Amino acid sequence: MTSATLTSVERDRANRRTAIKLGIAAAAMVGFAYGMVPFYNVFCEALGIDRARPELADVHAAAMRVEFDTNVSNGLPARLTPLEPVVAGRAGGLVKAKFRLENLSDAPLGLRAVPSYAPERAGRFLTKMECFCFNALTLAARETRDVTVVLLVDEQMPAELGAVTLSYTLFPLEDKA
Amino acid sequence: MTAATDTLNPTQGDHAGEAHGHDDHGHHAATGWRRWVYATNHKDIGTLYLWFSFSMFILGGTMALGIRAELFTPGLQFWQPEFFNQLTTLHGIIMVFGAIMPAFTGLANWMLPLMLGAPDMAFARMNNWSFWLLPPSALLLVISLFVPGGAAAGGWTLYPPLSLQFGMGMDLAIFSVHLLGLSSIMGSINIIVTILNMRSPGMTLMKMPMFAWTSLVTAYLLIAVAPVLAGAVTMLLTDRHFGTHFFKAVGGGDPVLFQHIFWFFGHPEVYIMALPAFGIVSQIIPTFARKPLFGYHSMVYATASIAILSFMVWAHHMFSVGMPATAQLFFMFMTMLIAVPTGVKVFNWIATMWQGAMSFETPMLFAVGFVCLFTVGGFSGLVLSIAPVDTQMHDTYYVVAHFHYVLVAGALFSLFGAVYYWLPKWTGYMYSEKMGKFHFWWSMVWFNVTFFPMHFLGLAGMPRRIPDYPLQFTDFNALASVGAFCFGLGQLFFLYNVIHTIRGGVGKAPANPWEGAHTLEWEVPSPAPHHTWETPPSQELVEKGLKEQAL
Ligand code: HEM
Ligand SMILES: [Cu+2]
Repeated sequence: MTSATLTSVERDRANRRTAIKLGIAAAAMVGFAYGMVPFYNVFCEALGIDRARPELADVHAAAMRVEFDTNVSNGLPARLTPLEPVVAGRAGGLVKAKFRLENLSDAPLGLRAVPSYAPERAGRFLTKMECFCFNALTLAARETRDVTVVLLVDEQMPAELGAVTLSYTLFPLEDKA
Repeated sequence: MTAATDTLNPTQGDHAGEAHGHDDHGHHAATGWRRWVYATNHKDIGTLYLWFSFSMFILGGTMALGIRAELFTPGLQFWQPEFFNQLTTLHGIIMVFGAIMPAFTGLANWMLPLMLGAPDMAFARMNNWSFWLLPPSALLLVISLFVPGGAAAGGWTLYPPLSLQFGMGMDLAIFSVHLLGLSSIMGSINIIVTILNMRSPGMTLMKMPMFAWTSLVTAYLLIAVAPVLAGAVTMLLTDRHFGTHFFKAVGGGDPVLFQHIFWFFGHPEVYIMALPAFGIVSQIIPTFARKPLFGYHSMVYATASIAILSFMVWAHHMFSVGMPATAQLFFMFMTMLIAVPTGVKVFNWIATMWQGAMSFETPMLFAVGFVCLFTVGGFSGLVLSIAPVDTQMHDTYYVVAHFHYVLVAGALFSLFGAVYYWLPKWTGYMYSEKMGKFHFWWSMVWFNVTFFPMHFLGLAGMPRRIPDYPLQFTDFNALASVGAFCFGLGQLFFLYNVIHTIRGGVGKAPANPWEGAHTLEWEVPSPAPHHTWETPPSQELVEKGLKEQAL
């Protein structure tokens, strides 16, 4: 390939030919990316690898999932357990969930639950109608109490939000022992 | 300096007679902003790429310092976790696609025609487009910080399901990736065609400079994988807005599939950022060892083997997703196999230096620093390639340490070396060797202070991508943060050094300031005139240089 023997017109033509081939290769590689989708399905099936099972998910019912997460701040003798860790909701509907709150100490305990969302923007689409986090709570020694939260899912809830995590962390009340 | 300069056609004014059909559209007269906006000259475009890349380096670096400031002590000081995640994500995307890759494309644009004896890149107009797609895509990323919900915050890998849940910042990131990919593909087509079709007589493929070889192989890699990334993010986009279920489990899709597609792009991408660095180092080391590159042919074959193997190792990023053991073993052994051609390269660089008449000007310091630290990154990579080890270390700071050894001390150091090496050719002036050396040693020390402790943090279990950490990680994190700020300061010094050189440096540079350099770019005057090699270099001239390189 000695380009010196080519005239510049010939060289331009050769250049364009190479470029077109490369352009086609690039376009084909986009196809390859999409080709990996069916290939992956076949491959997983052949190897017997567990796949997500769409038949277990009801696309229409579970437009959105709320998952509950609970934490207790360091050293606080209390326990918070979601009675249903995952609930389904849909735009415009209500989501209701119960939690079990326990005082593990032999003394009365004042505490407060602080909520947070992940992804953060979910907070704009979920309105708390009723929540045990609205007020400070006082538990008697060894008391166990069931508390509730009721969420209104906004009509505008974007479908892509999929799963939302609502997390509660228990903190001791500052003024009470 | 060399008699060869007079083979250069001095009648630059009247080149319009030579119908090249691409670069004679009045840009010659263009001045001021027009010269840059309508740039078709490969040197102008190279310069644009390099300045763009540097400004992205500063932007991404500022974000890195935002991360390190937050991690200086435990607890939340400066940012909310949501914003911290945006910082890591944008830092990664901007450094990879904005700083490192455009810098290599810029160097290829500036240097390939000069090194191969071609008058310009093959497609000058397309070249203009490939550059000017970059600023808008960078702008999209910056704008995304200010839209509701903020920028994408799921890491530069954009894994679903998180990436399906973000607000419009994610869409902007996707469009940005589209533009960046398009730019890379056009740039690569240009590089391949230029190398394949525009070499001067006597410059056969197996005799061209290593930097041309690694640019060629890198460009092929990009054409193969940039479209795959574009496909992957397009699937994300349609999953988000157009009801497809590629990655949504609820409709029968699978988020793990995204990881396969992403890393099919992502691992070759690692070599897209490493191979050109290998090429640069293979130019610099022979020059300052005053010996021909040891094992030129094995270097070419090693480059090609690395490129081919890079398509068969992608799932080493996914050892913890739950693959069958056979698949894990396959990817583990294939990954280890890459160490062989990489080892060949390191061996060849050392053998080139062996018994050479070495001198340690700044480019050589960066090249030797590259060899030392890239090897450290290679070794920690080998550690991570062991599947049972990686299931422990996955997503810890050990990984952050590993890839910064290959990306900062690897890709970035090679770029610094390249800038010092070719700065006399670009500006016509010599940089200050004292300031260059200071920049090297400063970077070398603070780089290690920043990133070496991260190995320990990772081994002790500190996860990556977190804004807060348990108390026992405090000391090493504080150390890393101090190192990062000092490292960053040193790069402003680099900027000062470059501007100082542009303004005259320490004096005029000869056509060939380096005793041991024998490639064609040193045969044209310094600074390289706007048009070079309008008549290709003579066969004798080419062969004279090749003989010096023992080719
Ligand atoms: C001044 C030098 C730099 C510093 C101090 C720095 C620091 C950091 C830190 C602290 C992180 C993330 C930590 C975490 O996971 O939470 C990070 C991530 C990352 N950095 Fe750098 N970095 C620097 C330069 C670079 C360069 C030159 C590149 C080149 C490509 C790069 C590529 C990346 C990538 C790809 C990530 C991963 C982002 C993600 O987790 O999604 N960094 N860096
Ligand atoms: Cu990889």
